[in-house]
Amino acid sequence: MLGGASRDARRTERYLDGLMEAEERGAAAAPMDLDLDPAVLLAARELRAGLVRVHPSFRFEEGLAARLAQTAGEARRARNEQAAPAAASSIAPFRAPGVAAAGDGVAAPAGLAVVGEGVAAPAGLAAMRDSFAAPAAPRRLSLAARPSRPLVVGGVGVASAAISIGAVYVAWRWSRASQSPMVRAVRAGRSGRTYASGHGRRAAVLHGILGVMP
Amino acid sequence: MFGSSEEGARPARLDRDRGLVEAARRDPACFDALYRKYLAQVYSYAFYELRDHHAAEDATERVFMQALTGLPRFEERADSFIRAGGVGGAAVEIPVDASTFRVWLFRIARNVVANERRRDRRRPAAPLEHASGLAAADDTFESAAAREAGSAAWQAVARLPEDRRRAVVLRFVDEMSTAEIAEVLGRSEGAVRVLLHRALRSVAADLRERLS
Repeated sequence: MLGGASRDARRTERYLDGLMEAEERGAAAAPMDLDLDPAVLLAARELRAGLVRVHPSFRFEEGLAARLAQTAGEARRARNEQAAPAAASSIAPFRAPGVAAAGDGVAAPAGLAVVGEGVAAPAGLAAMRDSFAAPAAPRRLSLAARPSRPLVVGGVGVASAAISIGAVYVAWRWSRASQSPMVRAVRAGRSGRTYASGHGRRAAVLHGILGVMP
Repeated sequence: MFGSSEEGARPARLDRDRGLVEAARRDPACFDALYRKYLAQVYSYAFYELRDHHAAEDATERVFMQALTGLPRFEERADSFIRAGGVGGAAVEIPVDASTFRVWLFRIARNVVANERRRDRRRPAAPLEHASGLAAADDTFESAAAREAGSAAWQAVARLPEDRRRAVVLRFVDEMSTAEIAEVLGRSEGAVRVLLHRALRSVAADLRERLS
């Protein structure tokens, strides 16, 4: 149950809503509420007419707009700088075979743009970074700054040679006749010569499967 | 969705400034649109509260700077507000053309103006009518009468207690709804209704005295 003050306050609110809506519509007459105190109605109309919205000077408006734009630019630059290291570390430089670097006087491929020191990025990212970077980024791809891919290739070559040498050594050891009697005995046993003549290796295998001792 | 009002729940609505706010969050340069849209409202609020053009300009600048730098956190605050169901747990509803950004902006303005008043308490404030009461050379009778009425209205408002005056300025100058004023001032809608009703009664008594 609403009290008298709350009921009057709610009625006043409805009147104020109506007053402002009528003004927005351009209605000539203000709405009336016979249940409301006429003095309150008059006060509402006086305040509506007298309390006007004031506007600051044009000079202040434009000055503040410029300062806000400057702050916005700094914020945007900071945000891009935060994003730039991640982007630079995720994009690997690629140089198509037969295409020279920008410094060689040959244009880079259409989809790539040279950004910073030896890092190629998609053209969209490069344009965004160029627009926020204070000095123009150098558009020369330095050979010294390129990653040392020959080292990787050389490492693969060395590993391949080492594997080949090892294989040759093992083959040589197996083919070479040993001077040691023990080694010769082991090899003879493996080759099945300890069995009786006519049995050979096949008989030794069968004996092994059947569990028969010779 | 904001909580339901005392009159019952209404369907959820979108913020009318959502597009502008999202654009400004993607690119801070787009904040200019929000700035131009609300400059006069924020400046008027600061002007009526501080009663000085220069102080109002300083406060306006602080408000928009704080809004620009705090914009990335705006939606999060709005969401937390929505989850909480309003200020101080009170049920609050936003009208159809509501802007949570505007409410947020005016909360900043309220804090900035309060700080400004605390900081400059020793500085004597010039009455508002002194700043706008000078007649121009081409002043017509109607505009002079309107200015006189405005001056009388303001004098009546200036005598109101602080909370009533703030509610009146937000209602009549910034054309906020009761729900929006409640959010800005951190009161319930019912309390704001009563504030406005009592403010109008005080102004009516003041005007009656003036006329007699």
